[in-house]
Amino acid sequence: MSETNAATALSGDELRTLACVLDLLIPPSSDGRMPGAGEVGIGARIDQLAQRDPGLRAVVVAGVAALDALARASGASGFAALAGAARLAALHEIATGEPGFVPSLIFHTYAGYYQEGRVLEGLGLDPRPPFPIGHQLEPFDETLLDPVRRRAKLYREV
Amino acid sequence: MAEESVDVLIIGAGAAGAAFAWSLAETKMNILCLEQGDWMDPAKYPTAGLDWEMRGLGDFALSPNTRGRPEDYPVNDSESPIAASMFNAVGGSTILYAGHFPRFHPSDFRVRTLDGVADDWPVDYAQLAPYYAENDRMMGVAGFAGDPAYPPKTLPLPPVPLGKLGERIARGFNTLGWHWWPSDSAIATREYEGRAPCINLGPCITGCAQGAKGSTDVTYWPAAQRRGVRIATRCRVREITVSEDSMADGVIYYDADGIEHRQRAEIVVVACNGIGTPRLLLNSRSKHFPDGLANRSGLVGKNLMFHPYGMVIGGFPERVDGYKGPTGCGVMSQQFYETDRARGFVRGYSFEMMRGMGPVSTALWGMMAGRLPWGEGHHAAYADVWARTGGVLAICEDLPAPHNCVTLDTTLTDSNGIPAPKVQYRLSENSRQMLEHGVARGVEVLEAAGAEWTRVESPLRVAGWHLMGTARMGTDPQRSVVNEWGRSHDVRNLFVIDGSIFVTAGAVNPTCTIQALALYIADTMKKKLANLFD
Repeated sequence: MSETNAATALSGDELRTLACVLDLLIPPSSDGRMPGAGEVGIGARIDQLAQRDPGLRAVVVAGVAALDALARASGASGFAALAGAARLAALHEIATGEPGFVPSLIFHTYAGYYQEGRVLEGLGLDPRPPFPIGHQLEPFDETLLDPVRRRAKLYREV
Repeated sequence: MAEESVDVLIIGAGAAGAAFAWSLAETKMNILCLEQGDWMDPAKYPTAGLDWEMRGLGDFALSPNTRGRPEDYPVNDSESPIAASMFNAVGGSTILYAGHFPRFHPSDFRVRTLDGVADDWPVDYAQLAPYYAENDRMMGVAGFAGDPAYPPKTLPLPPVPLGKLGERIARGFNTLGWHWWPSDSAIATREYEGRAPCINLGPCITGCAQGAKGSTDVTYWPAAQRRGVRIATRCRVREITVSEDSMADGVIYYDADGIEHRQRAEIVVVACNGIGTPRLLLNSRSKHFPDGLANRSGLVGKNLMFHPYGMVIGGFPERVDGYKGPTGCGVMSQQFYETDRARGFVRGYSFEMMRGMGPVSTALWGMMAGRLPWGEGHHAAYADVWARTGGVLAICEDLPAPHNCVTLDTTLTDSNGIPAPKVQYRLSENSRQMLEHGVARGVEVLEAAGAEWTRVESPLRVAGWHLMGTARMGTDPQRSVVNEWGRSHDVRNLFVIDGSIFVTAGAVNPTCTIQALALYIADTMKKKLANLFD
């Protein structure tokens, strides 16, 4: 059992295992444009959520423990010590045994990942919220309405 | 709040309460509005932060059950395929609405005469037309004259831009030879009455940080306050009380600290929406009204109407950047609005363009739709959907049915212990047929617009935005709760002015009709002041 930091919901070992899992869920893109989810602080974000949500913490802790147990059964010291293909196989295996773990992690990973500055830049966006700059849109082309203008009225007189 | 009596007490500071207060203030009567929510601070709206999309699922979620703000009350909607949504604040649900502002059609007020269903309204389009126009001016409505789906009307502001997505969808409608028109939108497309112009932030439905959207906290309320109307916030009304002569004489409410107060009034006006209003009336039981206030007809809470929504999302071969621009406003089609019995249903529906999603929403929607795997294929799959989606919503007319209702939950309460509303609702066969027709046509138009794939969700559970019919208006006290100008048949100084009084639902967003009715009722009261209670 590793040390538990009072300011976190998950232990250091659990966070290390979690970071490996996150990079499996969203790995870095091959062109280097998009970072892996483990690189951009999603583990810390999930830890923060788990501090406020005991249910989430229980799901994550159980899932991480199952992954580490599976790794140890294969002779590794833990999930983080496995090679990439073995990690993926282990994650697929526990997706059945811990049914809430992967869907829950996917939700929180996607939610966190796609609001990170590096990710937004990778999508070609400025890493900023919508307000106060907003977006430019061209005024619409009124000629599109020409065929509609030629129609008879659609409403019924009463 | 001191126990002084006021001339007029309005309960609820949303779309209807605001318009009504502003209009009636002209009389110089002593008008007070009690609102269970607070003033919103636009600087704290989600679009000012990178977590804007997730806050739309949290403290700015559509459902009060999800938000759970202190000022919210829970709604038991477990027996409904459509979940109720509303917001409690000065501005009410206009804080979160899309600002879509289409009027009813003239035929919507004459459904019995024209189509043999439901009931005609005791008012008509011609009577409401001047109030629609006044409301458009007050709310700042953008649009384009000449729509063949409506009698002639003018709007004070130019339409919202369509963007790449909107133009694609408009071309799709043109390809099929179907009607479409730029949406009437309560959005300041240029500076208007002190409101900054829209800068296409995107998610209007989590509050407009720019202040361009016409929520009533930035439209009617400042004007009403300048006319002397007072608003007391964080005041949750438990019940309306009555005197021995069966007249409303005030309310009992709780402040933010849970302390009980009494407010007396000569006239009580209820503007709490199609769920909050019947809840309050049913909670206002007394020896004179053992079944709830103003409920001698037994119709308080009955005939709840939503607009069943069918959603079709499509994926386009190139970026359409649908995350830019007002969420729900862009293109509207009323090709299938008026009754054509050959379609297999009576009445009809509108199409509203739905813009695309932001980065997080794209990911979460992709996950739920099974289009976005985790692992090695993730980035390629995301690139296929990011900024390439858009859709249409079929907004269907619901017909009134007594079994669709709001009652009081026997166990669920709000934080003050006041019984919460329970919604029991099921789709009619007519609505099912209409939804089926709507989503099939929605697929056609998206394909005509170039969509490579489409996905349907119908009925859309989260779309319980429009709450109507639960204290209907009419001339017959046996068949309606309020008369043709909003006065209770049973309590002569009690008025209802929100969507509860709708007789039928039309097939468009109801806010501008709610407000036009509120202005009409206020104007009628002004004309009848000398004999208001006769």
